[in-house]
Amino acid sequence: MSDSSTTEHAHHWEVSWAPMVVTIGILFLLPFTFSAHFVYDDPLLTTIFAGIGTPLTLAGIAKWVDEGITQKPLLEGVSPSGLPYFIISEVFIFLGFFVTYWTMRLSAGDAWPPEGTPALNLLLPVVMTVILVSSSWTYHIAEEKYEKGDLSEFRKWLMITIGLGTLFLGCTFYEYNHLMHLGFVPSSNAFSTIFYTITGFHASHVIIGLGVFIAILIPAFRGKTNKYLVFCGGVYWHFVDVIWFFVASQVYYW
Amino acid sequence: MSAHPEKFKLSEWIFTTDHKRIGIMYLIGSIAAFCVAGLMAILIRIEQSSLGPTLASDAITAGDQYNQWLYFHGAAMILGFLIPGLTGFAANYFLPLMIGARDVAFPRINALSVWLFLSGIFVALLGFVIPDAPDIMWTGYPPYSLLTGGNTAFYVFTVHLLGFASILGAVNFLVTVIYMRAPGMGWNQLSMFVWSTVTAFVIQLVFVPVLAAAVTMLLFDKYLGTHFFDPSAGGDVLLYQNLFWFYSHPAVYVILLPALGILYEIVATFSKNPIFNYKAAVYGGMWGVVLISGEVWVHHLYVSGMPNWIRIGQMISTLLISLPVGLLAVSLFGTLYRGAITFELPMKYAISCLFLFLVGGLTGIPLALTALTLHLSETSFVHAHFHYIMGIFAAFSVFAGVYYWFPKMTGKMYDEKLGTIGFWLNFIGVNLTFIPLFKIGVEGMPRRYWNYEMFPQFEIWHMVALFGALFILSGMSLTIFNWVYSAWKGEISIDNPWRSKSLEWTHTVNPPGPGNFLKDVEVSSDWTPYDYGK
Repeated sequence: MSDSSTTEHAHHWEVSWAPMVVTIGILFLLPFTFSAHFVYDDPLLTTIFAGIGTPLTLAGIAKWVDEGITQKPLLEGVSPSGLPYFIISEVFIFLGFFVTYWTMRLSAGDAWPPEGTPALNLLLPVVMTVILVSSSWTYHIAEEKYEKGDLSEFRKWLMITIGLGTLFLGCTFYEYNHLMHLGFVPSSNAFSTIFYTITGFHASHVIIGLGVFIAILIPAFRGKTNKYLVFCGGVYWHFVDVIWFFVASQVYYW
Repeated sequence: MSAHPEKFKLSEWIFTTDHKRIGIMYLIGSIAAFCVAGLMAILIRIEQSSLGPTLASDAITAGDQYNQWLYFHGAAMILGFLIPGLTGFAANYFLPLMIGARDVAFPRINALSVWLFLSGIFVALLGFVIPDAPDIMWTGYPPYSLLTGGNTAFYVFTVHLLGFASILGAVNFLVTVIYMRAPGMGWNQLSMFVWSTVTAFVIQLVFVPVLAAAVTMLLFDKYLGTHFFDPSAGGDVLLYQNLFWFYSHPAVYVILLPALGILYEIVATFSKNPIFNYKAAVYGGMWGVVLISGEVWVHHLYVSGMPNWIRIGQMISTLLISLPVGLLAVSLFGTLYRGAITFELPMKYAISCLFLFLVGGLTGIPLALTALTLHLSETSFVHAHFHYIMGIFAAFSVFAGVYYWFPKMTGKMYDEKLGTIGFWLNFIGVNLTFIPLFKIGVEGMPRRYWNYEMFPQFEIWHMVALFGALFILSGMSLTIFNWVYSAWKGEISIDNPWRSKSLEWTHTVNPPGPGNFLKDVEVSSDWTPYDYGK
C-alpha cells in the first residue's frame, strides 16, 4: 500500500521556491495583465505586468521541472495515479462549456447558426483531426523509443510531435484570422461566442500540452528525463486529443 | 518528547513544501480574510441598524458602499475563510498526521495551492484600493454583474485562483489518502475527519471546474462582448444561476462535511467514546451527501421561474438530503451517549455547534418546501438560516479545531479563561444577531436591503442584531488575541493534553518536526483512532 519507508528521520524542512515564483508569475500574467488591458485599458501597465509575469512563470516552471527530474520524491511513481483525478476536473470544466453550448443551440432551434455567421470551412477540422491524431501516434512511438532507452530517437519523435501540435495551432490561427477578416469576431452573435470560447479553450490546452513536451525535451537534450513525466505528458496529450473529437463534432458539424 | 525550540527562518516558511507549515499559512490567510470580512459584516449591521443612510451622507453613496461590503463579506467569508479554513488549514495540517504519512503525495503542488490561495485573497483585498471595487455579492448574477461599473474581473480572478488551489488540493489529498496510509491502516480505520475531507474533496474536484467555467463566461461577456448570458442575442441569463449553484450548493457540503469531521474528533475525544455507527455515518452519511449534493442546486432558483414539475422534483431531492445528514447527526449525538464527557474549551465550541447545526438544519426544511419558500424566499429568514448552518456552525467548528489542535500546532496551551469568555460572547452574540432575523424574515423583511423605510417596524430588531454583532466583535477579538498571545507566550503544553488515541496525538511531538514521525508508523488491524476501551 504505502512504500514511503524512508527509515531515516528527516532533519531539515523541505523547501522549494518554484511554487511561489510560478504563482506570482501567473498572478501577473493572467489577472493583472488581463485587467490592465481589458478593464483599465492601460497599455503601459499591460506591458509591465506581462513583462514581469512571463519570466517569473518560466523561471518557476524551469526550476520545478529540474527539481522534479533530479530529486527523489517522498513517494515515487504516484503522479500517474494523480493525473486521472486532475483530468476528471478538466472534463467537468469542458462540460460546463458544452452544457452552455447545448443550451444555446437547443433553445435556438432552427435559427442556428444565427444570422451573420459565415460558412465555416468544414474541411479544416478534418485536417486538424488528422494532425492531432497523428501527433498522439508519434508521441506513442516516442514513448516506445524511450522505453528502449534510445534517447536520441525519443527526442526526434518528441520534436515531430511538437511540430504537429504547432501545426494544429497554426490551423487554428489561420481559421481565426480568416473569420475575423470576414467580420466574425467573438462578440458577433451566439455562435461566435461559443465557437471562439470552446475552440480557444481547447487550443489553450494544446498550448499547455506543448509546454509540457518542451519541458520534457529541454532536459532530454542533457540526457535527463523522468519516466513518470514522460508518461503523464502523453496521457494529457491523448486527453486533449479526445476532447478535440467532441469540439469538432459538436461545434463544426452539428 | 517535548517541543524542541527552533530558530525562526523566514525562507524556511515562505518556500516551504511541508504540509504543516502550509497548513499554518492557510490558517493565517483564512483568518485574515475572516477578520476583514467580519469587519464588513459589522459595517453592514451598522448601516441596517437605522432606517435610511446611517454611515453615508446620502443614499447613493450608502447603496454603493453597502453593495461593496456585501460583496466582500460574502466572497471572503465563503471562498476565503470557510472553504480554505476547513479544507486548506485543517486538512493540510492534520490529515497526513492522522493517516501516518510523512507529507502529502505532491508537496510542491501543495505549496502551489497555498500560494494560489494567498494570491486569491490578495486579489480580493485589492478591491479596497481600486476605485471600482466589485459590488456583485459573492454570486455575481448577470445582468447586474455585466452592467455595473464595478470591477467584475477581480471577482472572476479571485474565483479562478481559489478554485485552482482547491482542485490541486483535491487531487493531492485524494492521492495521499489512497496511497500513503500507514501500513496496516484499512478504510474502516480512518479518522472521521479524514473521511469528511476525502468526501469534501471529491465534491470540490467535480464541481469547482463548473463554477470556473461559469465565471469565465461572465468575464468574456463583460470584457470581450460575448453573449453567453444575453437573451437578446441567443444567450440565457438563468444559465449562469444554474451553473453557479451547480457548484455553490455542493460547496455548502464542502464546508459542512469537514466541519462535522472536526466535531467528530472533538466529541469522541472529550466523551472518550468510539464513533457511534461509524460505517453508517461514513458510507451512508458522508458518501450519501456526496451522491445527492449534485441534484439539488435548482432550489436556489425556486423563484427565478421554472415549471412546477421541476420545482416539486427539486423539493423532493432537497428533502432527501436530510437522510444522510440525519445519519451524521444521529452518529454525532450518539457518540456522546454515556460518555465520560469533559467540557474543555474545544468541547464547549463543539457542543454549541450541535445546537447551531440543529437550528440551521431545521430552518432549512421550510425553505425546501415549495409552498413556504415562495413566502420566505429573499427574506432575512433565508439569511439567518444559511448563516446558522454554513456561517456560524462552520466557523465555530474551525475555532473548535484551532483550540483542540492548538497544543499540537504550537506546543503551547491557550488561555482557558480568556477563551471561555470569548466563547460565551461569541455564542450569545450569534444568537442575538440571527434569531431576530428569523422573526422579521417571516414577517417579510427582505434580505440584502440597506434601506427598508417601507418597514419601520423592523428597525428595533436590526438594532438588536447590531448589538449581537458587537458581542461577536468583542468575542472574536479576545479569541484571536488568545491565539496570538498564547502561541507566543503561552504555557508549554503536555504531549497529549486530551488523552486522544488518534495518531496526530499519540505518535508525534508538539509541534511535529520535519518528516512528522520519529519512526515510520505501522498500525495493527484492530487499531482505531477511537480506542477508548469500550
